[in-house]
Amino acid sequence: MDVIDAHGHIGRWGAFAVTDGSARSLVAMMDRCGVATACVSHLLAVGPDARAGNALLVEALGAHPGRLLGWAVYQPHDPQGPERLRDLLDVPGVIGVKLHPEVHETALDDRAYTPAFEAAAEHGRLVLAHSQHGGAWSDARHFAAVSPRHPGVPLLMGHAGLFPQGLRAAMEAAARCPDLVLETCGSRMTARHLTRMVAGVGAHRVAFGSDAVFLDLRAGLGRVLLADLPEEDRERVLHGTMDELLKGVV
Amino acid sequence: MTAVVDINRTLGPLPHDDVPSRDETGLVTELDRLRIDAACVSHSYAVHGDPRDGNAELTRVADPRLWPVPVLVPGPLGTGPWAGGAPLVRLCPRRHGWAVTGPHARELFAGLAASGTAVLLPFDEVTTGEVHRLAAAVPAPRVVLTGTGYRALRQLAELLDAHPSLYVDTSTLCGHRQVEWVAEHYGAHRVLFGTGAPVTDDAGPRHLLDTLDLPAHDTALIAGGNALELMGGGP
Repeated sequence: MDVIDAHGHIGRWGAFAVTDGSARSLVAMMDRCGVATACVSHLLAVGPDARAGNALLVEALGAHPGRLLGWAVYQPHDPQGPERLRDLLDVPGVIGVKLHPEVHETALDDRAYTPAFEAAAEHGRLVLAHSQHGGAWSDARHFAAVSPRHPGVPLLMGHAGLFPQGLRAAMEAAARCPDLVLETCGSRMTARHLTRMVAGVGAHRVAFGSDAVFLDLRAGLGRVLLADLPEEDRERVLHGTMDELLKGVV
Repeated sequence: MTAVVDINRTLGPLPHDDVPSRDETGLVTELDRLRIDAACVSHSYAVHGDPRDGNAELTRVADPRLWPVPVLVPGPLGTGPWAGGAPLVRLCPRRHGWAVTGPHARELFAGLAASGTAVLLPFDEVTTGEVHRLAAAVPAPRVVLTGTGYRALRQLAELLDAHPSLYVDTSTLCGHRQVEWVAEHYGAHRVLFGTGAPVTDDAGPRHLLDTLDLPAHDTALIAGGNALELMGGGP
């Protein structure tokens, strides 16, 4: 069991019902379908309260050492955000920074996010950002604009554009920016599009993510397990890409 | 596990993507690869073109694992009076520009109910209010809501609570443990394996079926038992 889920969550969300967003429920699901590690942020932190949500994340990491790794949410509207993030990046198990430009209503290439990238660079950590093709805040063009400003900082494009029609733009951005990694989760993603993604940018630039507990971990995992991929590429996507990125981080 | 039947699939080319299921051979190859025994298929012409053209294409389907699901349109400019030629039909009111609550639709629904024909109804083709009104009619046809998405569980719960004639497919019922939640609250007999492929993913729902946290009997119902019952044992 060595699968790493690069994009998960714990907690609840306002717009729809999450039937059980507890860390315990997520870990039980990981056990059920053979996922070793999930990299998660807390939904309270993604949503209204990064301070409280990040504190809950740290609790969950302590309760499930080795199974859960953490994305600390950086809130660009919090005046204390930069120093709080630096403290969080020192916590064992916190592997990097989660940015959600749509929720923050702040474009990914806005300078308001610069402290988050700088903190990730200083600590040797990763950045995971939500992406949404065609949007004002997190389109592939925003990734292509910001990534070159922070060379050496791995930037995971969460959902790889979110919509199938955004996949081409996501792949083009990855081709231009060596630190970009495309992450696979999303309810519109299909195994067919995943196969194209791997063929287009290489398996070493693609990381499996599920978006659990928003989405069902098994649906995202099955998309990789049953995609028409060479076995070597499948292994890369399921854990090899993240194994490389996490060297020296955990 | 008993038979695996995809209740919600499309055969034929798509206007916005290149898909293996553009022809019958490609679709059957995909089913084999994913260990799906049979699929209820509408033709893409019937969804993205004129339903009459797509329904005509369906009559040329030869593989016995592909079970034809015609797409119907009510009224004098539609697909004609329904005489019960298939156990399952698909309706796309928004896409095809007709009113679910209009007199032509009421006549169609009454005919479907009278002939025991079940309906695939994509959730993005209707409002929840329209589904409530449709399901409250007496008699009402059995309706499988497809593509309900992971964000609509509250609306779906209310619909399933209120109307025993409603069912749901698993194509985009992809929130954390949502399939289990619906099966535990409303019964596994209300849930049918479906993918919505090739527009939505088939691999994820197929893998989910193999890993459901439900009694084996319930999983078998979802996998294909309910579809077989809905289809009267087959096409």
